[in-house]
Amino acid sequence: MKFFKLVQFLTLILFLIVNLQPLQAQGNRDFMRETGKIYVVTGVILIIFAGIVLYLVRLDKKLTNIEHQLKEGKNE
Amino acid sequence: MWWKTTSVILLIYAIVAGLLVPLKPGIDRVSPDSALTGSRLDMQIHGYNTWYSRGNTADIRVWLQYDSLRAVAGTDIRVISDTTLAVSFQLPTTLPDGGESDMLNLIVSHPTDGVSLLPSALEIEADTSASSSAANWTDNPVEKLHVVRDFSYPYRNVIYETIRNTYFHVPMWFALMFMFLVSVVYSIKYLTRPDETSDQKAVAFTETGLLFGLLGLTTGMLWAHYAWGKAWSNDIKQLMTAVALLVYAAYFILRASFDEPEKGARLAAVYNIFAFSSLVPLLYIVPRLFASLHPGATGNPAFGSQDLDNTMRLVFYPSIIGFILLGVWIANIRYRILRIQQLADDQD
Repeated sequence: MKFFKLVQFLTLILFLIVNLQPLQAQGNRDFMRETGKIYVVTGVILIIFAGIVLYLVRLDKKLTNIEHQLKEGKNE
Repeated sequence: MWWKTTSVILLIYAIVAGLLVPLKPGIDRVSPDSALTGSRLDMQIHGYNTWYSRGNTADIRVWLQYDSLRAVAGTDIRVISDTTLAVSFQLPTTLPDGGESDMLNLIVSHPTDGVSLLPSALEIEADTSASSSAANWTDNPVEKLHVVRDFSYPYRNVIYETIRNTYFHVPMWFALMFMFLVSVVYSIKYLTRPDETSDQKAVAFTETGLLFGLLGLTTGMLWAHYAWGKAWSNDIKQLMTAVALLVYAAYFILRASFDEPEKGARLAAVYNIFAFSSLVPLLYIVPRLFASLHPGATGNPAFGSQDLDNTMRLVFYPSIIGFILLGVWIANIRYRILRIQQLADDQD
């Protein structure tokens, strides 16, 4: 189930990036299409970074669970 | 360890070089983009990343090209700004093949910017009432181009700076293939000699592969939104990739649905072999059978020599190695967590 949460997060990030259009200046050129669409590259790098960080968070939670499990085992 | 350091160094290099190296000067658009034969055409050329005012204006040459032998040279070339060039053409009375309309390429040769080309820049229509013109298709062939060698990435219309995504989106798929390959090797190892280590490693590598797959698909959708117009256009490449990722997602559902871990591990290992053997057709064979928006055009929705030049290779290959090593690192951590989970469970 946690993996589906990861999917949800990634979709949310994509949704946010694609919907940055309110930031666009007046006129018909939107923010992401300015300066040769360079912000699309920034977006791609951010998605990769965010995805890897979210996966690290998931691994962190797994380790915390194991730590609790080991602690309980010792106290018994 | 050395390979972890290597992965970080390669990825930093890929991000820095991938973002800082400039694009080659290119032609964004021209106005007007259509003309009649026999007419005098005053055209404005809008460049991208160009420095038209540098160098001697008299050295700038412009052609409207029909094919490798036939072209019309531009006259009265004026630099309006660094990104705008004004030029006039005297168009010949008829088209070379006598047809009704055709597309001409625009070539600009600049002493410091070098050569830039806009394919199908001008639509030319035959004007039957045109009075005879002095111009001829073969008078001024394209020759003596300014060759400028520099360290830069190719310029492509529509794609512009997003050509840099090659260093971040594409290595996701290389990393995915590597992770799934290692995973299936461990699955085969598990089937020939069952031991927990092989199974845990197979799980760790499959999960990391799936992570790269999701990242590849998401980054691809963002890129597609700005290059193809829509994030999801039901392109064959996108559909088949989604199917491949679902096949691998089912691997985890299959494992989780067994109460006895050993039975689950055995079946998952068998399933993994099937999943891997479906991966190659789904990602590399089926998309080639249909028209696709993905480069490079129909018949090869993967990678063509036109999409990668030697400058790009200097960043592209290190980036692939960097991401693969990072994946191995992540998978290794995932495996160790599975192992200590096992140890903790045994202790209880």
